[in-house]
Amino acid sequence: MAEQPEAVLPLPPSGAADGEGPTDVSPGTEEPAGDTKKKIDILLKAVGDTPIMKTKKWAVERTRTIQGLIDFIKKFLKLVASEQLFIYVNQSFAPSPDQEVGTLYECFGSDGKLVLHYCKSQAWG
Amino acid sequence: MEEDEFLGEKTFQHYCAEFIKHSQQIGDGWEWRTSKDCSDGYMCKIHFQIKNGTVVSYPGTSTHVQTCLPMEEALELPLDDSEVTEATAATEVIKYEYHVLYSCSYQVPVLYFRASFLDGRPFSLKDIWEGVHECYKTRLQQGPWDTITQQEHPILGQPFFVLHPCKTNEFMTPVLKNSRKINSTWTCLCFHLFPRNVNYITSWLSIVGPVVGLNLPLSYARAASQNE
Repeated sequence: MAEQPEAVLPLPPSGAADGEGPTDVSPGTEEPAGDTKKKIDILLKAVGDTPIMKTKKWAVERTRTIQGLIDFIKKFLKLVASEQLFIYVNQSFAPSPDQEVGTLYECFGSDGKLVLHYCKSQAWG
Repeated sequence: MEEDEFLGEKTFQHYCAEFIKHSQQIGDGWEWRTSKDCSDGYMCKIHFQIKNGTVVSYPGTSTHVQTCLPMEEALELPLDDSEVTEATAATEVIKYEYHVLYSCSYQVPVLYFRASFLDGRPFSLKDIWEGVHECYKTRLQQGPWDTITQQEHPILGQPFFVLHPCKTNEFMTPVLKNSRKINSTWTCLCFHLFPRNVNYITSWLSIVGPVVGLNLPLSYARAASQNE
């Protein structure tokens, strides 16, 4: 299957509608001129027997939290409420749920992207 | 079914030592404590939190420590000065304790925790959960007594809340296996292979900590990957 073009992480329903849809592509070209990009590139990798996302590369707002990303992935993968999803940087460290992805990109990003591993678990069952 | 990743006690102590090294570098407050006969030990962290403007009431306690008030209002209470100071201090500062012990039966680390006011009145589990991130609350409330129990601390002999270790291998194994696939170097302790740039304790605590209000600074992640 050909790698899909980079997708923009849709804003939650309650957020302001910028008119951006999930089909926006070309990272970098739509970014407003400024010192820092508003969005950062994230590559999502599945761990263990967690389902693999069809779209792995996403452009995400810097201020998006880990919790926001977890909620998004859970919906995308259609996980049930009793399943937990964990996200890791550096393959093995789970950042706090309220950590912003922009900060993680600054600390752990390389080659212009942040690699995050995700893993589902029934941990608290 | 993946083969579980168990942690030997010596390996546990090794990772705790590495963890504490970094904690000392950033002033995060973790330290190692040994039992009286020094046969075993655990990692411990105490932190204090101020609860401002929160109304905290405990049925059965005397009226002068019922509410947590801003300074100005507290002084209006009909108490003598020393009692006012004590009441205000007692209701405003909460002491949180986190202990990481090794479980021989499960062969994994276990998180013991408790919280109390400075005057020793314990915090209930419900109060501790008020400091827990939303995403964990629903999950915990669905079956809290399956996952958090109150037990006697194996070394101190005092009651602590414990995050039950029975599921630890379930969430640690995929992460460690994945990391071992990616990294070509590893260290061998207690006959188990662990990826060299992963600290089991750091990973584990980063996962279970937020569930009970304990968040690890990001620098731990970098420290783990830099360990020789």
